[in-house]
Amino acid sequence: MQLRKFHFPKHFLFLLLFFVVVSKLNAQTSNRKVQSNNAWSLFGALTLNNQSVNDAGITAPLNYVYNAVNNNVFKPGYSGGLRYDGIYDQKHHYAVSFSINRVSTGNFYKNKYSLAPFIEDFTHFKADNQFTSLSVAAHYKLLLPVNDMRKYKFYAVVGPSVDYKISKISAEHLINGAGNRVFVNGDLGAEFDNKGYYVLYAHYKLGKNLATSSAPIQMNRFELGMSIKMKDLF
Amino acid sequence: MKQLYTLFIAAFLILLSACNKETATTQIDVMNTMLANKTWYLDYTVTGTNTKSYVGQSTYFVTYYKDGVIKDSDGLTGTYTIENINNQSQIHVQVKTSNGNPLEQIYDIISVGDSKLVLSKQVASGAPTQLYFTNK
Repeated sequence: MQLRKFHFPKHFLFLLLFFVVVSKLNAQTSNRKVQSNNAWSLFGALTLNNQSVNDAGITAPLNYVYNAVNNNVFKPGYSGGLRYDGIYDQKHHYAVSFSINRVSTGNFYKNKYSLAPFIEDFTHFKADNQFTSLSVAAHYKLLLPVNDMRKYKFYAVVGPSVDYKISKISAEHLINGAGNRVFVNGDLGAEFDNKGYYVLYAHYKLGKNLATSSAPIQMNRFELGMSIKMKDLF
Repeated sequence: MKQLYTLFIAAFLILLSACNKETATTQIDVMNTMLANKTWYLDYTVTGTNTKSYVGQSTYFVTYYKDGVIKDSDGLTGTYTIENINNQSQIHVQVKTSNGNPLEQIYDIISVGDSKLVLSKQVASGAPTQLYFTNK
């Protein structure tokens, strides 16, 4: 799948705004006394992805052999990006992250159709199973009273995230207006902070199309990743 | 913190503004891709409750080419287009009969895929005949 060409001004505005605010933040934090827990980090993650497709709203007279397109497994992808960890009001831990994701998914099609005397089951819709997205996430981190919290910190993580597909959507995925670029996720996970050197995390993301679609897709993703503070890297 | 809020809200608004749904203008293109440059062999015909099987027999076949040309096993050559009329997808075939007269045949597309094609044709008064093709 080709990477979609960036459209001006939407993507451009997004990137511009992102870099302006990041540079402002950096400038301000360097002029202030910085709390040790507030930091920008770089992260990378392995993702496992599966999508559940409901093509009940598709009216186009198309057929795809069910066994050829249905593959109800989790497929690997990867993501990388920036995140900001901080503490609000000296007690509420949070993280805001920005990432680019290369997603490869297994597909589970909820509906099967058949046309006698043809025996094989088929679906009316074929969803893209590879795409690239930009995402923004805001996570609340609950510090868990586990082990020696001065050294090792364990967090339970919860919060929303938004993904925006930037890769080209195939013509087959656009049938009957099924194409949908934005989906919102509910994220749940756990994080382990090793003395501030690095953070290991596992997140589960349950995603749904933001706008209504004739073929709504539910994304299930697991992220296993690691983040390292930028000041330790550069 | 304030800047983070600003960043998050601004990014969210931009994403939100970008979430216009794609419009479906590509159905005919997708059907053309599935149909074209393939030879389709007639496996079954169904008229009402009467099913005839041609599986394993010498059967009628038709080839749809990408440039809009159609050729069938009866020796007829012509052109075809896929059209969407009143939400019904159809194949319009223009051929010339053996005595040179133009003839248009219209098939309703019941279902088209990479390997299975089901068309419906009103041959005479009564129930339409459904034609089940396989791309071998």
